[in-house]
Amino acid sequence: MQSRSKLDRLLWSLQQLMKIDAMNIVILVIVVLLGWSVISDNIENPARYLPSPIAVAFSSVDMLVKGLLPSYFSDTLVRLIIGSAIGLAAGIPFGLLLGLNRTVADMFHPMMNFFQSVSGIAIFPIIVIWYGNSDMTVLIVILYTSFFPIAFNVLSGVREIPLRYINATRTLGASRFQVMKDVLFPGAMPHIATGSRLSIGFAWRAVIAGEMLAGREGLGWMIFTGQDADKTTEIILGMVIIGFTWIVLDHYLLRPMEERTIERWGLVQR
Amino acid sequence: MIVFSQLSVALQRRFGRQRLRKIILGSIPFLFFITIWHANTVFGWLPPVFVPTIGEVWEAIFFLQEDCPGFGPLIKLDNDCMMTTHILSSLGRVILATVIGLPAGIALGVVAGMSRPISKFLEPVGVFANSISGIAWIPLAIVWFGVGWVTTLFIMLNTIFWLMFFNSMLGVRSIAKVYEDSILTMGGSRWDVVTQVYLPGAMPSIITGMRMSMGFGWRALIAAEMIGGDSGLGFMIFTSAAEFKIEEVFLGVIIMAIIFMGTDKFLLAPLEKWTVERWGLVWKPS
Repeated sequence: MQSRSKLDRLLWSLQQLMKIDAMNIVILVIVVLLGWSVISDNIENPARYLPSPIAVAFSSVDMLVKGLLPSYFSDTLVRLIIGSAIGLAAGIPFGLLLGLNRTVADMFHPMMNFFQSVSGIAIFPIIVIWYGNSDMTVLIVILYTSFFPIAFNVLSGVREIPLRYINATRTLGASRFQVMKDVLFPGAMPHIATGSRLSIGFAWRAVIAGEMLAGREGLGWMIFTGQDADKTTEIILGMVIIGFTWIVLDHYLLRPMEERTIERWGLVQR
Repeated sequence: MIVFSQLSVALQRRFGRQRLRKIILGSIPFLFFITIWHANTVFGWLPPVFVPTIGEVWEAIFFLQEDCPGFGPLIKLDNDCMMTTHILSSLGRVILATVIGLPAGIALGVVAGMSRPISKFLEPVGVFANSISGIAWIPLAIVWFGVGWVTTLFIMLNTIFWLMFFNSMLGVRSIAKVYEDSILTMGGSRWDVVTQVYLPGAMPSIITGMRMSMGFGWRALIAAEMIGGDSGLGFMIFTSAAEFKIEEVFLGVIIMAIIFMGTDKFLLAPLEKWTVERWGLVWKPS
């Protein structure tokens, strides 16, 4: 009896500990690092298959000193930002314009769906034949991947706006432009937010794959050459950086933006 | 004239007026696109090295299947039946990864979601794994498994598993505790709670995860086949591009789009709609 209550108390205090989020993550990281180093200690040829965390940390210091890591990182990020910014800036107005007229919207919906389903990485071989292994190729692949999901989402968003809102504003004497500005754009806002997140998500993956395939310098290239040059530490380092960058982008930038937009502009129909 | 009107009436009866309108309207941009493509070959705006003619793309099918000995070797993925071999090996990987990855992800996700502390603990793992899943694993997979079948399967499995795991875990966690308690009060076992509360309650989230995992997984698979594969549609278009056979590249891209759209439209979208209608919009006590 006595021992059971002690155990309960111990469990309870453990649970209290787990409630703290930061503590959670620290414990988790320690557990993962320990498990990782145990595995890497017990396999043959760890340098090739799974280098220990310490080796990865050393390689990151090495790459930082040489200045390779910051330059790769900024290369990848600049590509992502330029590509997705142009893609979004072109995709949102395009989707809105197609959505202006219901017949036109119905007409282009299947086609946009078609291009949205063809992933950017699938058209990579075509772009390579057109432009060769250049920065242009990677940029076009990113543009393609970010343009179609957003345009398709905006188009579906505009199509879902109830006709009576448009009719009401038209009856009150609004011009085409005013309808677009006051009804279509705010009405499609939640879809724009969701679509942007999706677009940037696909674009991020396309950047990594594009750099690997076209051999342009960046994080994707870093992990790809790491595999060629038998430097597994660099591969794992690159993967960790890719993971963290996307978490920071998604959880602290895109998702709060999406949630706020949906809260502010979401059309709740009852 | 009478034949036409009869045909149109028959078509309207068959598809319904609205759907017929959508089908006809939706095919106009495609026809326009094909016309422009054909006009390009006639007027020669872009050289045929960059954009093949429609006839060449059509003939590429027969060129790739030229040496195929027959139906038996075709199913056995004979190297001479190039096109069908690549299509079937891509599809096979998708099916295999789905058959293994979906149940595993759902089962582990439900188990992890059952306990709140454990699920809170594992949430960062899911977030991190999802954010590097897919393409970033390709180099490490090549180091581990070499170039070939296992690497591509691993990439696809990785993508599917983590998305399913994360989504079903969050789905189970979002169910109100009232339901669980009521089943237990009425004398249900732990297993009853799983089948009656957790699985149906998490169903909308699971189906969304399924659709997402197909979207991301299919893209990752194509990239994996290009970089670390020795068969599959991604491999086919990549090697064709290296040999400057642009018509084969176009053919591969079109086949991929058709397969992807087919699964999305005829399998996943109806499934999602059905689930949301059947299980979704569960009343949540505030």
